[in-house]
Amino acid sequence: MQYLSETLGTKTARAALLTSAMVIGLGSFGQAIAEPVAKEDMVLVVSVINTTNPYMISNIEGAEALAAALDIPLEIVNSDNSSQTGISNIMAILASGKTPIMFVNTVASSDAPTIVNAVEQAGGFVTIWWNKPDDFSPQAEGDHFVAFQKIPGVSSGRCGAQALGDALGGVGNVVMLPGVQDSTTSQTRVAGFEAEMAENYPGITILESRPSNWDPQLGARNAQDLIVKYGEEINGVWSADDGMQIGAMQSFENAGMLDSVKFASDGLYPTTIEDILSGRGNNAIVGETFHRGYMASAVGLYTAYLAAIGEIVPSELPPEQRDSLFALSCVNPGNIAEYLQYDEPDAAAKFVERLLVSGPWATEPMPLVAGGPEVMP
Amino acid sequence: MGSAIGGNHDKNNRAGHAALSASGGPLQHFIKTHKAPLSLILAMAVLFVIFGFLNPRFASVLNLQNVLFQISVPLIIVVGTTMVIQMGSIDLSVQGVMAASGMAWILLSPNTRLESDIGIWAWPVALGIGLGIGLVTGVMYAKLRVPSFVVSLGTLYVGLGIGILLYGNELLPTLTNDVLARWPTRLTLGLPNSFWLAAAIILAGVLVARYTRLGRGLLAIGNNESIARHSGLPVNRYKIAAFAIAGALSGLAGILATMQLGSGSPDIGLGQLFTVIPAAVIGGTALSGGEGGVMRSALGVVLLIVLNNGLVLAGVDPDYQSAVFGSILIVTIVAVAWPQRGRLKVAK
Repeated sequence: MQYLSETLGTKTARAALLTSAMVIGLGSFGQAIAEPVAKEDMVLVVSVINTTNPYMISNIEGAEALAAALDIPLEIVNSDNSSQTGISNIMAILASGKTPIMFVNTVASSDAPTIVNAVEQAGGFVTIWWNKPDDFSPQAEGDHFVAFQKIPGVSSGRCGAQALGDALGGVGNVVMLPGVQDSTTSQTRVAGFEAEMAENYPGITILESRPSNWDPQLGARNAQDLIVKYGEEINGVWSADDGMQIGAMQSFENAGMLDSVKFASDGLYPTTIEDILSGRGNNAIVGETFHRGYMASAVGLYTAYLAAIGEIVPSELPPEQRDSLFALSCVNPGNIAEYLQYDEPDAAAKFVERLLVSGPWATEPMPLVAGGPEVMP
Repeated sequence: MGSAIGGNHDKNNRAGHAALSASGGPLQHFIKTHKAPLSLILAMAVLFVIFGFLNPRFASVLNLQNVLFQISVPLIIVVGTTMVIQMGSIDLSVQGVMAASGMAWILLSPNTRLESDIGIWAWPVALGIGLGIGLVTGVMYAKLRVPSFVVSLGTLYVGLGIGILLYGNELLPTLTNDVLARWPTRLTLGLPNSFWLAAAIILAGVLVARYTRLGRGLLAIGNNESIARHSGLPVNRYKIAAFAIAGALSGLAGILATMQLGSGSPDIGLGQLFTVIPAAVIGGTALSGGEGGVMRSALGVVLLIVLNNGLVLAGVDPDYQSAVFGSILIVTIVAVAWPQRGRLKVAK
């Protein structure tokens, strides 16, 4: 507890205190599960940052598909963009008496220790996606923190840089719209983009970088300001996700510059797919990355489920299966057709079918590629 | 805006009149009531000169159009926000109303998702949703005597809920009608249409505040509700009207923001509350009610948006931008508020 308060600040420390208070109340769960958990005693839990972002909605779809396939009830936790709300809601579910099998898309890195601690005390099994403190590893925490999983942000940034660099013939000026500045996801994508440009595209100049908080409107506003500042000098725009790119493209379209500027981003949102297929703005979008939220939640939950039924013993797994980096695909107008199948209405169910056969680390198109933690270039 | 009250002889508005009767002669009154905006304008002029010096493009016509485009959504919201704050209440439902109205409008206009285009009728429906949410907030606040902070927090989530339900988990709806999508940026007399819309709303807000019983009544309620009530003002009706207008204006802002972005999203109003409430306070609208006005709040909006725009154009490193933004803001506000510190009532 003292470690927590010292390293994670008062806010988290308060949450940690709350956790311990809850845990004292949950005395009957306060021991490690030695035997596999029976199916009827389980509840699957998908905890998402909010329920408006298409990625989070996809997280929920994946959990629903797996819950249907395994025939286990599912609880959805909406953190409403707040660590405190997320943690309180998770606590409420932990107190329900069933063994929770959890996928948690943490709001902030510092939420992870509090959540893992509570799940462990309640005898549940959790896989955390995207955010955790670097020095907080599943291996050191025991079998109830089954795994930490993510898609490497550096690869995403490199994908975007290659697409833009190639589309501009290796020469030109680009601007960057990162997400929330202190988010690990944004930082790794930015690092990947900058490294790839520096290493392989010496003729490309990064004019400026304006964090736009994953917000399409802020992306649009910052793009407008950058258009005023640099005008025709801008040849390419990289955004850390499609939401901001949608805003930025609107601003360039309003300024009459969409036909002459190239765009690359991350997420391959439905709107982006339409824009690529229709060739909007003289084929303005040249590069994207592909990954779907339903894949993350299904893989995360299934990994935790395998631990709960005793099929895997987390402490006996190789390190890359505890702290895992999964494959990200680079998409461009030439290969986009291959990826359309993953957005069909039954895509989540089909992915879960393959997942149950191939296991969490070898299901296409998102197999395990390396062990974490992610190394910044 | 105080001058408007000082000059009125309406029987119903003695409370407001009394509150400002100590203002002295007309000229003194003008100077006294306009000192805050004048010093705010002066402070902004200093900022503009510095930004123009740091990057000449700051003062370009293109940037003027850019800034006017960016301020239009918060300008529309701040008219309603000011009316509500003037009577000593607060409306936190802005983001929720924007989500509900914006999503309803785009789904009923030509879009990539639904074939439910009802043409011009999309406007009254979407505005009606905003008005309706505002009415609910107002009625619960006035009739059930629930604090506006709590009621509007509730209606914020109801609005967001409606927005999320409409959004579902399907395709992001994108406007397919080019005329609608380009309307906010198209120039009329050299200025973007979105700004003209906002300017019309500001003008209407000023006229309502200055020449209607409602406008004067809101200030009277903010000054002293029990005096206002005892002097025969229909306090509850005014309170409900203020929230209904604020709701309808948030709805309009939601529609305009959706048009500007070209796509619908339940997050369309993200962060707007943190522009408009500080803007109103910066402009001299006291959170305790009874003071301030639409034009002053509008100046507050201009200051906040231009400050951000100027920092980007000046090339301030993003790592430092928040801190620099906050520091300049504090210095500006202190400079503006120093002579008024007895009056502003924001130092609680």
